[in-house]
Amino acid sequence: MTPEHLNWDHDKDPDMIPLDAGGHPSRQSESGDHITASAGHIDVGEISTSSRTLWGDAWYRLRRNKLALVALVWIVFMILLAVTADLWVPQTLGDPIVLPQDTAAAKLLPPSADHPFGTDKLGREIVSRIIYGARVSLSVGVLAVSISLVIGLIFGGLAAYYGGLWDTLIMRTADVFFAFPYVLFAITLIAVLGPSYRNVFIAIGILGWPSIARVFRSSILSVKENEYVDAARAVGASDLRIMFRHILPNSIAPIVVYTTMSIGSAILSEAALSFLGMGVQPPTPSWGGMLSDARAFLFSAPHMMLFPGIAILTTVLAFVLMGDGLRDALDVKMKD
Amino acid sequence: MSKLLEVTDLRTHFFTRDGVVKAVDGVSFSLDYGQTLAIVGESGSGKSVTAMSIMGLIPDPPGKIVEGDILFKGDSMLAMEPAEVRKLRGDRIAMIFQDPMTSLNPVYRVGHQIGESLRIHRGMTKREAFDRAVELLDLVGIPNPRERAKDYPHQFSGGMRQRAMIAMALSCDPDILIADEPTTALDVTIQAQILELMIELQDRTGTAIIMITHDLGVVADMADDVMVMYAGKPVEFGTADEVFYKPLHPYTWGLLDSLPRHDVSEKGTLEPIQGQPPSLIRVPRGCSFHPRCPYARVKCVKEVPELVPVEGGHASGCHFSVDPSFRKGEAAVCREVV
Repeated sequence: MTPEHLNWDHDKDPDMIPLDAGGHPSRQSESGDHITASAGHIDVGEISTSSRTLWGDAWYRLRRNKLALVALVWIVFMILLAVTADLWVPQTLGDPIVLPQDTAAAKLLPPSADHPFGTDKLGREIVSRIIYGARVSLSVGVLAVSISLVIGLIFGGLAAYYGGLWDTLIMRTADVFFAFPYVLFAITLIAVLGPSYRNVFIAIGILGWPSIARVFRSSILSVKENEYVDAARAVGASDLRIMFRHILPNSIAPIVVYTTMSIGSAILSEAALSFLGMGVQPPTPSWGGMLSDARAFLFSAPHMMLFPGIAILTTVLAFVLMGDGLRDALDVKMKD
Repeated sequence: MSKLLEVTDLRTHFFTRDGVVKAVDGVSFSLDYGQTLAIVGESGSGKSVTAMSIMGLIPDPPGKIVEGDILFKGDSMLAMEPAEVRKLRGDRIAMIFQDPMTSLNPVYRVGHQIGESLRIHRGMTKREAFDRAVELLDLVGIPNPRERAKDYPHQFSGGMRQRAMIAMALSCDPDILIADEPTTALDVTIQAQILELMIELQDRTGTAIIMITHDLGVVADMADDVMVMYAGKPVEFGTADEVFYKPLHPYTWGLLDSLPRHDVSEKGTLEPIQGQPPSLIRVPRGCSFHPRCPYARVKCVKEVPELVPVEGGHASGCHFSVDPSFRKGEAAVCREVV
């Protein structure tokens, strides 16, 4: 309840106008005709018919979460930068890949008006490389999570729907995936596939499915127990109808939340792999690769480390905060 | 002509790791148009499983109807294909669930859900089904039905949701309405309204109602016939008047004595039935009520009593019910305590 509610002024509240003998708002009330007239309009239906859709409701609650909103703006901003990069970055800020003519003079320059984020060891603009790095990070994040989603939803759904042997088989396989150290498993996979942009998101995607399958399975299992599923069965709905119309729409919220957070962690994994040289290969700029380059100049040119670090931190944080906000906004049980 | 619904010697067992749960163990009754049958008993007495068996909604595994038959207008529902049973469900036989707070799907508008069975069974379009849902909401006494049909369940109060559930169940004019504790989750004033509504709708549509409840007050208001269940078995069957004014079985006496009555002085104390309902895996030998029965004799431990008619259709599953002195003597003593 908001403070306004607690400190309301009884005299101004239309509900507090005394009633006359007939049960109508009293005309003698000192608040005058203006309020009396509006009080007469109130009926039960009018108060509660603000019928919002479920997603409209979620959006309403998300909008009030400032932190999530900032995160959303940041994500949209990064996506816009990444998508439009080709149109303006090389022309105005400098090419992210091609070396300047006089490398020796241009290299390792600290941030200045000409070089907003400074230059790297080969004299390339760090600001351009960060913008182009956003393309790699965001696309790897989205593609990897898409792969996890497809595999995870299919296996999680099968495990929950059929149960028994299928469930055991799928969930124990997922456990095996969990048993391996994540980065080590990813490095092994990439060692087999060969380091490249494509193989990075494939590796991260394959490693991500068990958690999605788990979340989806448990979500379906808990929704299945709800009485409205029995009720749907009782009106004669078929199994398929129950699965797709009643169970799926109710189990999707945790997946939306988890997916958002997963994109953040996929970006982090990509950065880690690129840092270790197992990710996107030079000269393509990637945030992890830039960090790796910066190691040698940690003290002489700290800006090389600083900006890619900030880019990774803010972007991953944005996805996590966004996921947090979505979780609060979508939680059906939180409704009054 | 065959009866609307006939259940003969229904036995629904659940095969669990701990053993066989005999949730329903020999239930028989029949139901005709416009009739109301109340099934009464404590939690775990098999009332709901009986209902679910009729709906064909026993989860298999672990549940299974091992014996008996359910005849709908003379046709065995157990012999039907699952698709045929599904056609009856929601169309000819509808059900209202106990908890209105959880029995509506939160992601759909109320009107959409009420129309679901119309779309399934009547092949109505979304628009037709929605219009009919509005009429039904009006019928169950929801003000502003056209507006409210566009609401989501969380915007409805508990009583309104139960009204919506009733509208949903009545959408296809079912022959049989099974109400599984429809008022248990509601507060008392709303309970009375919902019962009134059901009685009114029954008068109008002639639907037969199976009312499952542990609330004898509900039974008195509505039922024609009453079946009292204990540990999966019917222990007493009769008209509402017979069961209320001339109860035969000690368990029914116990149920009635644990009910607050306004025709008895306020100083009287309520007499709960001692003990707990038995585990349905290891039902006591002989009469399953004997460990809790104040009148139990050696015979009760040795022999399983049958449900036998005592006076007309009024039947009891107690060895001693046929003995008028047992009823008049001990029952009278028992009732005086109240």
